[in-house]
Parts: sequence; structure tokens; C-alpha cells
Amino acid sequence: MSAQPLAPAEGPPPEPDPGAAVIQTTALTKRYPGAVTALDALTVRVEPGITGLVGANGAGKSTLIKILLGLLQPTSGQAWVLGGDCLRDAERIRTLTGYMPEHDCLPPDVAATEFVTHLGRMSGLPPTAAKERAAESLRHVGLYEERYRQIGTYSTGMKQRVKLAQALVGDPRLLLLDEPTVGLDPAGRNSMLELISRIGAEFGISIVVASHLLGEIERICDHLVAIDSGRLLRADTMTSMTQASQVLLIEVDDGSDLLLAELGQRGLEPRAYQRALLVRLEDDGTYDAVRDAVADLGLPLNRLERRRRRVEELFRDEQAEEAAHVG
Amino acid sequence: MSAETGVIHDIGYRRYTGRRLGRAQIIRALYWHSLRSAFGFGRGAKAKIVPVITFVVICLPAVVSAVSVARGNGRLVPYDTYLVQLRVVVMIIFIAAQAPELVSRDLRSHVLPLYFCRPLRRLDYPLAKLAAFVTACLAMIEIPLLLLYLGTIAQSHSGSAIWQQTRALIPGLLVGLMWAVLLAAIGLALASLSGRRAYATGAIAIYFFLTWILAEILIQVTQRNVVRAVSPPPGAVVAPPPGAPPGAVAQKFQEVVQVPTTGAHLSGLVSPFTTLDGVRQWLGGTSPGPVPGVAHYGPLYGAMVLALLAASLAGLVARYRKAGAL
Repeated sequence: MSAQPLAPAEGPPPEPDPGAAVIQTTALTKRYPGAVTALDALTVRVEPGITGLVGANGAGKSTLIKILLGLLQPTSGQAWVLGGDCLRDAERIRTLTGYMPEHDCLPPDVAATEFVTHLGRMSGLPPTAAKERAAESLRHVGLYEERYRQIGTYSTGMKQRVKLAQALVGDPRLLLLDEPTVGLDPAGRNSMLELISRIGAEFGISIVVASHLLGEIERICDHLVAIDSGRLLRADTMTSMTQASQVLLIEVDDGSDLLLAELGQRGLEPRAYQRALLVRLEDDGTYDAVRDAVADLGLPLNRLERRRRRVEELFRDEQAEEAAHVG
Repeated sequence: MSAETGVIHDIGYRRYTGRRLGRAQIIRALYWHSLRSAFGFGRGAKAKIVPVITFVVICLPAVVSAVSVARGNGRLVPYDTYLVQLRVVVMIIFIAAQAPELVSRDLRSHVLPLYFCRPLRRLDYPLAKLAAFVTACLAMIEIPLLLLYLGTIAQSHSGSAIWQQTRALIPGLLVGLMWAVLLAAIGLALASLSGRRAYATGAIAIYFFLTWILAEILIQVTQRNVVRAVSPPPGAVVAPPPGAPPGAVAQKFQEVVQVPTTGAHLSGLVSPFTTLDGVRQWLGGTSPGPVPGVAHYGPLYGAMVLALLAASLAGLVARYRKAGAL
């Protein structure tokens, strides 16, 4: 197989030109027997970069991934990955795509280096290249001497790294990561997210991260696609979703009550928010008024910032019912 | 030389620009990987115990025969049956121990999604595994035959003697091929039922042993004992010894023989091993085997082999259609 399969080699080109999109679906629908609709006319376009695919468990994320890998036939609609049709070019798409499953998928009684080498062979690498790339991918995910040990002796974090390394071994153009932080402690989660962010930025590989934890992956994503019950909730860039709001947040060590009264006298209509105060940001004069009020009262100012909207808040309404499922 | 200092540089991520193998070559790589694991290669010493012992045991008769031939005696073991009992026992142990090694481990640790998200198609996986295991069983069955052949012709000095041995060997090899294909297919199909190695091994051993013993018992009990007169050897004393009751002469030259009934002809269908032996006899195998002749039921044995093979393959296909779900 050639290494430049990005343009369809034979046959007529797909009608809606996927262009530079990494993933493009049009009216993609999947119904399982028993009237279960996993995907409902999903039309979405994923650009290069790191994209978060958010939705509760059962929202259709796994079904979408299976269709993208050509392992499941959609009931109707179309899907393209890296310019190839998911039905016709499945083999080529799978050559160029690395997949990290959500569930445990590692044999305990094999060394990581041996396992990743074998999967490199299964990705189509010749023997020597598979060995070299296995060692490199394991190094990139932070496994050095440990890679000669049996996987059964690894911690959960190390196992997640092996799962990521096997997805990387075939030098993919696209990584599909299904819940990559599942089962990790907070420190492990952070380093896994950092790793994903580095792969996206430095390795030039497009990444789709499926997760039900929006707050977690929003930190590393350039784009966000939210789906619910197989329908598109929203798709946009992170920056447009988290535009700075017109609210100023002020936090002082103590004396919040005094400051509240003082700001009120200056006509700013402050309101208490947790341990801080919020005021509406009119213009630069607002900053000056806050500064003067704090200085006049002699209070220690901890924080003064323009509030950014958290993506979570944008989805809150739509996700209210999902939250019940997620628990 | 600037390399003296030995500094390690982080060269960052490197794209792979080399050759990529196609699907057929990936299947071949999986085939080799599976064939090696069938004999415990690439794994610890413990994984090699069963394959090595079974292989040595099944080769022993060929070696003994070679020694016998070298001392001027004839070949001890026929090519078309080898030592049936030994071969059955050894193959049951080998398949019960090694078939789970090929398929159950991947099922157990849920590795299959990692295969199916790669260029392989869903049925490529069982196909490569089956081809590898057929090859492994073929090695277990045919290598002893080849040793037997080499040990025999090493002492032959005429071309016609060698030709005679070769002509006897070829049907033996074909019977071995039939054994390897059917037993490997049944073994893998049974092993793929469970991800737990112990269960898979147990299922295979129980199925093969039980049906084999059952077939042997059925063959025994369905034979009829017949008293048959035997012509006295020339020069034998025909007169009864003094004092013997009248009629003793007739007793002395009779023998009891077992005559197979229809039931005995059909009992072989119970076990894959006796079914294979029935097909061998139907196709003209002459050495005595566990089945006491197939009479005119030969085609039934042929059909049984095909049915067992078809059922095993269908089982494997069904298993990996389902197991392919991510």
C-alpha cells in the first residue's frame, strides 16, 4: 500500500468534497435491531488538530468510531476519514488511523516492546521497522526500560500508555482515542492529557478524543463536538466557545462584605459569587473603580480577572438529563 | 569523532516513510507469529514443554524403526496409519495444550479490537490462525513419517526399493494432511469458545478422548464372535491323544474370530479419529486400523469428515464475526 493515499486512488471522487477535513459525516444514521438509534442524521466536520468528542455514555461516540474505522455499516448517510470513504476505503483508512480502545485490551504475559512490535507488524510495517517504531512509540509515551517487563506488572497509567503507543506505532495521520483517561488518578490524568496535547502539537497528528468528561478534555482541545442521543449538540472551536465574558471577578482575602458595600456606593452593582465578587464590565473605568475601592479599604487583592466562560456552562442545559445517566 | 561524548539527543517524532506491507503480507506475518506460538517460540521455556515432549514422543517409533532397519530387519511401522493409538494420544495432548495458545489468549485479554482496527479484515484473523495451526499439526504428523522414510531408505541400495518406499509414503502423507486439517479446525473451533485457557483445553481433551473411547467400545461390542473351522497345518497329528473324549479333534482346529457387523462398520463415525481412519480404508488404505473395515459405508465416512470440517469452520467464522465488535 502506498504511503500517499490521501486522495482516492480510483473511482469517482466523493461528491461533497471533504477537502482538508479530517473527518466529515453527512446525515450519518445508525439504527441497531430493536429500534435503538445510536446515530441520528449526524452531520459534522472535524478539522485538523485536537478535537474533543463529548457525550454521555451511550450518546453514540463508540458507534461513530466504529463506523469511521469501517467496522460497522451505517444505516444511511456517509462518512469520510482523511479523504477516504469509510465503506470503500476502510482498509486504507485503518492503515492511517490509530485507535486506542476504552477497555482493557492488553495481554498480561507479554513484554510491552514485544506486543507493540507485533501490532506494528499488523499495521503493515516490515519486521525491522516495526521493532524500531515500537521502541520509539514507547519512548514517546514515556516507557523506557520498563518496556521489557511483562505488561501484567504495569500500573494502570503505564497500561494506558502502552495502549497509546500501539495506536502510534504505525505512524498514523489520525488518532482516535476512546476515553484515554479512564481509570487514572488525577496526576495520571494530567500527564495523559499533557501527552495527548504534545502528540497533537509536536507530532502533527490529528486527534479525536472521545470522553464523557467535558471539563477534563476542554483543556487540550482546539475544537469540540458534542453529541447527545446520536444527534449533534454543538460543534465549534474552543476559542469561540470560551470567549471572554463581560464580567469581572474580584477576590480578596477577607473583607468581601466591606468591598461589596464600597463597590455598591461606586455604582457598580456587585454580587457575591462563592468567595469572590462579580461586577459587570462596562469599560476601562470599571477596572479603575475596583482598584480604587480595594486601595481605599486597604484590602489584600488576590485575584482580578475577566471571567472566561467555561464550556461546561454552555452545555449545562443540554447535559442536565445526561448527568442523570452519568451519575 | 564527535560521537565520543555519547550524548543522547531527543530527536522528536519521526514520520515513517518506508515501505508499508499490504493485507496479504500482514496475514502472512500473523501466520508466522501464530505458527511460532504453536510451538512456544518467542515465549518462555514453560511454553515449550508440551510441544517438545509430544514431538519427541511421536518421533520415537520412527527412530526405533530406523534402528531396526539398520540391523537388517524390516520397517516396523506402516506409513498410512503410523502407530494409530500413539498418534491419537499425542495429537489430543498437543491440540488441547496449543490450540488455546493461539486463540484463547487473544480472546481472554480482549486484544481483538486492536487487530480489527488495523488493515486486516475480520475473517483474516481466524484464517491466519487456522493456517498456522494446520501447519503445526502437519509438522507433528508428517515429520515422523519423513523420519521413518529416511530411516528406511538409508539402508536401501536399489532404486526400485527406494521407489517402493516412496510409493508407500505418499498415501501416508495424504492421510496425515487430512488428519492435520480436520483436527486443527476442530481444535481451534473448540478453543475459540472460551477465553479461559483451562476451559478451552478441557473442552478439547474431553471431546477428543470421550468420542475416541466411545468409538472403540462401540466397535468392540458390535462385533460378533464366530467359531470358525481352521484347516489343520500339514503334518499335524490328526488322531486324538489317547483317552480323549470323541470330538476333541474337531475342537482343536477351530478358532473364535470377531466378525464386524453393520454396527461395527458404522461405529467409527462417532469419533473424528476413527472417521479419519474409515476414510483412509475407504480410499484404499490396507494396514489394519481401529475401524474394522467400512464395508460399503465409505462415502458416509467421507461425508462425515466434510461435515465435521464444515461445522468447525462455520463455528470459527461465527465466533469472529461476533468477537470483532470493538
